Amino acid sequence: MSVTIAVAGKGGVGKTAISAILVDFLSGKGTVLAVDADPSTNLNEALGINLVSTIGRTREKMTDDIKGGRLTVAASKQEILDARIHESLVETPRFDLLAMGRPEGPGCYCAANHMIRFSVDKLAKSYDYIVMDCEAGLEHISRQTTQDIDYLLAVTDPTMRGLNTAIRLKKLAGEMRTNIKGGVLLVINRLRNGMPDEIKDAVAKSELMLFATIPEDPNISDLDIKGKPLVNLPLDSSFRRAVQEILFRLKIK
Amino acid sequence: MTEGVFPVDIGPQYEGEVIRKADVRIELGGPNVRSKFELVTIREPAEITHEKVEVIGSDIADLPEESSQPVALLVEVAGSRLEKDIEPVLERRLHLYLNYIEGVYHMNQRQDVWIRLRKDSFNKGLNSLKILGDMLIFLYTSEIDIIEKIQITFITDGAKVEEMLPRAMQIYNARDEKARGLRESDVEEFYSCALCQSFAPTHICCITPERIANCGAINWFDGKAAYQLDPEGPIQSVKKGDLLDAVRGEYTGANQLALEKSMGAYNRVYLHSAFAYPHTSCGCFQAICFYIPEVDAFGIVHRDFEGDTVVGTPFTTMAGDTSGGRQVEGFLGIALEYLRSPSFLKADGGWYRIVWMPQVIKDQFRDACPMDLYDKIATENDVHNTDELVEFLNRVGHPWVLGEIKLPV
Repeated sequence: MSVTIAVAGKGGVGKTAISAILVDFLSGKGTVLAVDADPSTNLNEALGINLVSTIGRTREKMTDDIKGGRLTVAASKQEILDARIHESLVETPRFDLLAMGRPEGPGCYCAANHMIRFSVDKLAKSYDYIVMDCEAGLEHISRQTTQDIDYLLAVTDPTMRGLNTAIRLKKLAGEMRTNIKGGVLLVINRLRNGMPDEIKDAVAKSELMLFATIPEDPNISDLDIKGKPLVNLPLDSSFRRAVQEILFRLKIK
Repeated sequence: MTEGVFPVDIGPQYEGEVIRKADVRIELGGPNVRSKFELVTIREPAEITHEKVEVIGSDIADLPEESSQPVALLVEVAGSRLEKDIEPVLERRLHLYLNYIEGVYHMNQRQDVWIRLRKDSFNKGLNSLKILGDMLIFLYTSEIDIIEKIQITFITDGAKVEEMLPRAMQIYNARDEKARGLRESDVEEFYSCALCQSFAPTHICCITPERIANCGAINWFDGKAAYQLDPEGPIQSVKKGDLLDAVRGEYTGANQLALEKSMGAYNRVYLHSAFAYPHTSCGCFQAICFYIPEVDAFGIVHRDFEGDTVVGTPFTTMAGDTSGGRQVEGFLGIALEYLRSPSFLKADGGWYRIVWMPQVIKDQFRDACPMDLYDKIATENDVHNTDELVEFLNRVGHPWVLGEIKLPV
């Protein structure tokens, strides 16, 4: 049975950094599939690898090939798609990465997305851990996989706007076909001098339970400035320790 | 059952098992290798030796670890009840059977074949293609009793694979041509797709060998495969039933399907006509066949066409009139691929009833358009309204306008 952790929240709150470090830790414990489900972030860069293709591009190419009458009848489209999704996997010794890419343009993608869900779900089953770096709307999760999520980390920075997005995520999660077994867990990132009172009050009033806090780590902005992958974070950095603590509390040891 | 006979286990539980690159002992074919294919052919009994497995070129133990190598996988079978048509079916079984083997994965097909063998299975003793061949023979003969003799050859010598590839390609192409020639009269089952019912609750797609789903994504073969993979899923098999009207494409099975799945809204459907009881349209169709009363003929417009069609409305407006799971006479939502069907709008005159379409579609489907008609169909580059259309059709002598086309009866 694989364990799926989805990381979501407003743009710029540190989702990708958390996802990258989760992947880094988990790949020491078992096989990991990292899923970049946010078209505007770059989990691959945080992990220090190049992308081959994305599900979005695979879908467009498939659509073009169908239009051009170029697909063989020797295998069904589902099977062809299975293979093409495998081809778009970035395989590294420690983990594999699948990028969702851009969402579909106008037109009908009911059948395409149905087939993609089938392929992605099948693929994901083979890994011990799945880490999904999601966009705030959770669009890709509902469209491209039905994979159950064990834990949804709703990440925010200590701002009202970030927190409101996290609160919306909780609502959204309730409306999806995806089942979130372990619940929506609030993670407040980039804390400087403890938790501001306003945020503390707002959390208390919300339906969210504060699960973890992560202190601001200057090492991250340092790596960002130099354009280096976040997996280069020093082993004793406070950020790494905080992410490790999250896994510990999720009983993933 | 196989315990002790083979070094690794066999069973459906291994299907879908991903073999990560870090765990690969050897990769045969795949995206990094140019020369590769798999082929199943039927032979005369005297031509093959039962249960013989031959390896031409190096065996896997002698090939560099973690490397990707060329491969040809040839399965030759004989049996008095084996018919040529079954070759592709037996060939596709390679996908199933290889994936049944613990630590082996198979992707793609034909000249794209992609096989991986995991290190732990190699270490357990699956260290020769001869053993892999024996396992395949075991699976083929225990699952398919009409196979009386079977012989398997692996070729890992790239030059030899390369040399044999053109012949295999010829066979694949001939098979595709045959499959594309499959007709409604050749099959007993159609497939239905209900994927769009969340948008159009009275819409159900009826998929036949001559009619691909409106969205263009699911043809009859896909329907068949999808139903086998997931018999409880949105794609179901439909008994064709009796043929009531060969010209319009009316079947008792399709009518019954329409009745059941449209919540009683419709009880008849013509699969190949835009009049009387046309197929319902969801919102997903790639294009619309629309009736042009001024010339008593049809135009076609696709989703990506910007601007107004020859009748003055854009795709979006027309889509509103066509969609929603209704039967709208004179408006038919279609997949573009349907233009390649021999039964395309058969009852209404087919291609010869088409008078206007966007240039890009005309270019893309040139192969499907009758040669004598190609220059007589107007595009947005030729005409901008129906007055100009009438003038154009008369000038070029469109056979429909000239009255040369008789509708089938």
